[in-house]
Amino acid sequence: MKRLASTAIALALGLAFAGAAHAEDKKTLAFVVNGASDFWKAAEAGVKKAQEELPNYNLVLKYPEQSSAAIQIRLMDDLVASGVAGIMVSAVDPKTESDALNRIGKEVALATTDSDAPQTSRIAYIGSSNTDAGKQAGELVLKALPEGGKCMGFVGLLGADNAKERIQGVKDVIKGSKVELVDVRGDDIDFTRAKRNVEDTLTANPDINCMIGFYSYNTPKIYEALKEAGQLGKIKVIGFDEDPTTLGGVREGTIVGTVVQQPYEWGYQGMKYLAAYLEGDKSWIPENKLLIVPTKIIDKSNVDAFEAELKKRQGK
Amino acid sequence: MGEPNQPFLELNAISKTYPGVVALNDVSLAVGRGEIVGLIGENGAGKSTLMKVLGGVIAPTSGTIKVDGREHAGLTVNDAIKSGIAFVHQELNLFDNLDVAGNVFIGREPLYGGPLKLLDRKKLHRQVQPLLDKLGVDFASDTLVADLSLAQRQLLEIAKALSLDARLVIMDEPTSSLTLSETERLLGVMNDLRADGVSIIFISHRLNEVKFCADRVVVLRDGRMVGGLDRTEARPEAMIRLMIGRDLKSLYIPPQAPPGAPALEIMDFRTTAFPNHPVSLTLRRGEILGLAGLVGAGRTELARAVFGIDRRLGGDLKIDGQAVGIGTPRDAIDRGLFLVPEDRKQSGLHLDFSLTENISLPDLVRYAPGMLISGAAEGKNAEAQKRRLNIKAFDVATVAGTLSGGNQQKIVLAKWLSMKPSIIIFDEPTRGIDVGAKSEIYQLMRNLADAGVAVLMISSDMEEVIGVSDRMAVMHEGAISGFLERDRFSEHNVLQLAVGKRLDREGHLN
Amino acid sequence: MLKKDLGLLILILVVGTVVALLNPRFVSQINVANTANLIGLFGLFAIGQGFVIITGGIDLSVGSIFALLGVIFIDMIGLWGVPWPVAFLLTILGGVMLGGLHAFLVTRMKMQPFVVTLCGLLIYRGLARWYTGDGTAGFEFGQSFPALEWLTMGRSPIPYWLPESWGGPGFFPMPNSFIAFIIVALIMGVVLHRSVYGRYLFAVGKNEEAARYSGINTRKVIAAAYLISGLLAGISTVYFAMYTRSISPASHGNFYELYAIAAAVLGGCSLRGGEGSVLGIVLGAVLLQVLQNLVNLLGIESSLNFAVMGGVILIGVIADQQLVKYRTRKANERKRALGHGALSPVAQQEK
Repeated sequence: MKRLASTAIALALGLAFAGAAHAEDKKTLAFVVNGASDFWKAAEAGVKKAQEELPNYNLVLKYPEQSSAAIQIRLMDDLVASGVAGIMVSAVDPKTESDALNRIGKEVALATTDSDAPQTSRIAYIGSSNTDAGKQAGELVLKALPEGGKCMGFVGLLGADNAKERIQGVKDVIKGSKVELVDVRGDDIDFTRAKRNVEDTLTANPDINCMIGFYSYNTPKIYEALKEAGQLGKIKVIGFDEDPTTLGGVREGTIVGTVVQQPYEWGYQGMKYLAAYLEGDKSWIPENKLLIVPTKIIDKSNVDAFEAELKKRQGK
Repeated sequence: MGEPNQPFLELNAISKTYPGVVALNDVSLAVGRGEIVGLIGENGAGKSTLMKVLGGVIAPTSGTIKVDGREHAGLTVNDAIKSGIAFVHQELNLFDNLDVAGNVFIGREPLYGGPLKLLDRKKLHRQVQPLLDKLGVDFASDTLVADLSLAQRQLLEIAKALSLDARLVIMDEPTSSLTLSETERLLGVMNDLRADGVSIIFISHRLNEVKFCADRVVVLRDGRMVGGLDRTEARPEAMIRLMIGRDLKSLYIPPQAPPGAPALEIMDFRTTAFPNHPVSLTLRRGEILGLAGLVGAGRTELARAVFGIDRRLGGDLKIDGQAVGIGTPRDAIDRGLFLVPEDRKQSGLHLDFSLTENISLPDLVRYAPGMLISGAAEGKNAEAQKRRLNIKAFDVATVAGTLSGGNQQKIVLAKWLSMKPSIIIFDEPTRGIDVGAKSEIYQLMRNLADAGVAVLMISSDMEEVIGVSDRMAVMHEGAISGFLERDRFSEHNVLQLAVGKRLDREGHLN
Repeated sequence: MLKKDLGLLILILVVGTVVALLNPRFVSQINVANTANLIGLFGLFAIGQGFVIITGGIDLSVGSIFALLGVIFIDMIGLWGVPWPVAFLLTILGGVMLGGLHAFLVTRMKMQPFVVTLCGLLIYRGLARWYTGDGTAGFEFGQSFPALEWLTMGRSPIPYWLPESWGGPGFFPMPNSFIAFIIVALIMGVVLHRSVYGRYLFAVGKNEEAARYSGINTRKVIAAAYLISGLLAGISTVYFAMYTRSISPASHGNFYELYAIAAAVLGGCSLRGGEGSVLGIVLGAVLLQVLQNLVNLLGIESSLNFAVMGGVILIGVIADQQLVKYRTRKANERKRALGHGALSPVAQQEK
C-alpha cells in the first residue's frame, strides 16, 4: 500500500515536470474541446500538423474532465493563468460561458470552434456551420425518400446549440416536402440509452422509415439496433460525423450517407490562424467573423477515398 | 430566595412505585448549603431513581420536593436546572467533537448577527475562562474534548454545572475511572465548591473517599433511607453495616455432586480496561462460580476477553487442562465455551430475527447440509428449545423483539443449549427479568451444572450472587479481591471485598 | 414472497397496464424482449449492489468499473486477439479483484464504504479515460464474435402457448442476457435466502455486534458481499460492452450505480442494512426499465426521463411506507383485541 502510494506520487510528479518542461519560452496555443470523444482525435491530428509548421509555438489540446461549462471555464482560466497566448475553444454551452469567454478574450487571443459564441469578444469562429451541415443531411434525407416518409432523430444533448442547429437545418430543407421529422430523442450521451431509444422507436413507431443520428455515436447505435432487429437496409439511415461503424455502413450501403465536419481542418487552420493573429496578421478574419470550414457529404461514392485520407491523417 | 440557614434541598417522604416494584419508599433527605452529603448503597438500592427524581426526569409517586425554600409539586427537568441542580454523571455527557467552551455552553451559545444566529466564539471563550480558572484546570478553553483525559472531562462536567449557576451538584461515581492523584484533585475542587456555598451530593462506592470528603453520609437500601452517619461516625465498616442487612430469600438449589475437575483456568489474564491487573481463576465442572463486584469492576471486560470478543493483553487460558488460544468468539464456541452477554438486546440476540433464526445462528452449519439451511431442521430444534425452556411465544416464527425480557433471555440461552455447552459464562443473567422467569433461569443453571457444565455467573445482584453460587469470586477495580466458599457467603463479606478490602482466612477484616 | 415484493409487483402491473392501454405496443413481443434485455443488463449488478446494501454499505463504483474493465475487455478481444472466453474470465476476475480491494479497505482499514467506493468511482473512471486517451474503445467495422454475441446479445426461442384468438402458440425470442440474469438471480436468491452465508449476511447487517457474539466472522461476511458485487459487476461489464459495442469511458456507465441502488431500495433493501430480497431487487430492476421504456413509448419528452423515474420511485416508497403503517395499525388493533401488547411501527429500530 505504502509503496503503491509512493509510486503514484512519483508518477504524478513526473507528469507534472514533463508538462512543465514543454513550456519553455515558446508561446503556447491551446485547443480546448468540449468533452472526451473520438471526434477530437482528428482535430488533434490537425493540431499536430500545425505544430510541425509552427516550430516557435507550443500547441496543446486539452480535454475538460467533464462535459460541463463550469469545468471548461476553470480549465481555460487555468490555462490563462499559466500563460497561454491563444485559446481555441469548443464551448460546452456558449450562452452560459459568454461572460467567461469575454473575460478570457481580454487576456488572450480567443477563437471559437464547433459551436460559436457570437456575442463575445472572440476574434473569430473557425469551424463548420451546424445549420449548413443539417441542411446537407436534409438533402440526403430527401434523396433517400423521394416518395416521402417519417423520420426519427437521435441526439445526445437536446438542448445543446449544435444539436439544435443541426436539427433546424434538417427541418429547413425538408419543410414542404412529404418527409416529416416526427421527434428527436435525447440520451444524455449514455450509449446504452442511445441504443435503447432506437429499439423503443422501432416498437413505438413502426411506421418510421428513416432515422437520423445527430451525434457521432448515434449513427452506430442506430446501425447496431437495426442490425439486431433485422431492419438494416429497410430503414434509411442518415448520419453525422465519421465513426468507423458509420463509414462501414455507408460503404456497405446500409447507411445512406453521413455529413462530416472537418475537425482536422479546425485544428490545423485554427492553430495557424491564431498564430498569424498573434503575429499581427488580421487579414484572414472575414467581416462577419465566421470562417466556415465546409462540411462534406460522404456517401458510397466517396467513402473509400475519405477513409483513406482520414487514416493517413491519424497516422494509422 | 430562601433563608440562609434553611437547607437548600429538602426531600420529604418521596416514594416511587412501578407496577410490582417499589423503587423508593418514603425517602426523606435534607442537604444544607455548602454541605457535602455522601450517598451510598448497593447496586439497585434506589440511588439512580432518587437522582432521576431530583433531576426532574421522573416524577415521584408521592412526597414533596423543596428546593431553596420553594416547593415543587412536579419538578420538571427545567425546574431542576433553573433551581440550580446540576449533574455530573458517571457516563459523561460530553460532545467529543466540540471543544471545551462549546461543551460548557452547548445549547446556550452567545450569538450575534440577529436572525443569522452566528456563533460568537470570542465571547464564548471569554465566558468560559473564569470557570476554568476557578477549577484550576490544566487545559485551555479551545481544547478538543476528544483530547482530554477522563479526569479532565470530569472537571469539565463540573465547569458545565458551574456555568449553570449550580447550587447543588450531584456527582454520580465521579471518581470511578480516575487515578489516585486525579481523585485527590477532584476532592480538592469539591472542597472549594463547598467553601463557595455550593451543596454536593456525592455518590460513590469508594467508601474511603466518601469518608474523606463528606460532611454526612446517608445510606439507601432497598429503596429506603436506612440511616445517616455524621462525619465522625462515617467509617467504612459502619457504612457497610448499614448498606447490608436485608433478608435474602433463599434461592439456593444445592448441587447433586461435588464439583469435578477444572474446566476453565484463567491465568494472569489482562484486559484492555485494566491492563495492570492480571486476573486468575479456576472454574470447575459442575459448579456455579459467582463473580461478584460493583458495577464497573471489570467483570464484563474479563468475560468479553475470555470469549474472544475483545483482544486480551496477556495471559493464558486452559480448557480441561489443555492450553487453548481463543482469538475470536468462534474459537470459544467451537470449544463449547459460551457467553450469555450482559446487554441482551444489543449483543445477545437479533431483535428482528425469529426465535428459530436466533436459536440456530451460532450453529447454523449444523442445520445446513450442503450449506443450504434446512428450515425443517432448525425449526424442529427451535420447537424443542421453546418447549424445554418454556419460552412464551406464539410460535417459533415469532420475532424476538416482541417478547418480554425473560423470554428474550431464554432465547439467548436456547442458542447455547442447542449446542454442547462445556462452559457457560452468564453476564447479569436476570437483569430486567420478572421473578418467574428468574427462578426458571436459576433452575436451569443448576441443571446445567449438575450435568457437568461449568458455570460462571457474573452478577451485581447481591441476592442472586449469594443465593445461586456454589463459590464466589469478588472483583474490585479489575482485580480479584478474594474468593468465598459457600459457608462464608454473606452480604458483609461480599461488600467488603467489592470495595477492595481483604479478608483473612477466618473471614475477618484484614 | 414477502408482502413488500407483492406491493412492488402490483406497482409494476399497474404501471404496465396503464402504459399498455395508452400504447398497446408496450406488450408487443419485440418490446417485451427488448425491455427484458435491458432488465437483464441492469439487473445483474443490482443484485450485487443489494448484497452490499444489506451489509449496511454501498457500492458507488460499479459504473466506473464498467468503463475501466469495459475498455480493457474490448481491447482484449478487438485489438489483442485474446480469445473471448479468456477475456470474459479475466474481466470477471478484474471485477472480483476490485471488489476485494473495496472489501479490504472497508473491513480491514475500517474505512466507510461510501468513501471507499466513491474514490473507486473517481479513480476507475479516470484510469479508463487515461487508458483510452479520452477516446472511444470500439470494434472495427464488421468485427464480430458470433459465440460471444449470441451469449450476450442473442435471443433464445422459448415456446409458449396462447389460444388461437390471441395469436396462437409460438416462440418468444428471450434475450440471453435476461436468461443469464434469471440464472444469477436464482443462484443469488438461494445464496441469500437459503444458505448459511445469506443468514449471516442478514445477521451482520441487522446487528453486527450480536452476530459477533454468535461466533460469526463479520469481516468475512462483509468482505464476501463486496466480492459478489465485484463479480457481478465484472459479468455486467461484458454484457454492457457487447450491448453498446463501443465505450466512451467519459460517459459509459455514468450513474449506473444509482440505477442499482434505486432497484435495490425499491426492492425493499434498507440503506441501514439487514433487509432485502433478491426477488425485490429483480422487481426493482424490472420497474426501472419499464419506466425508461414508457418514456419512449408514450413519446414523453426524453429530457423528462429521470424525472419520471424519480417520481415513480418516490410514489412507490411513500405508498409502501403508508402500507406498513396501516398494517402495523391493523396488527395492533388485532393484538389489542387479543389482549397482547402493542407493536409500534418503529419497534424494529428501537434497541
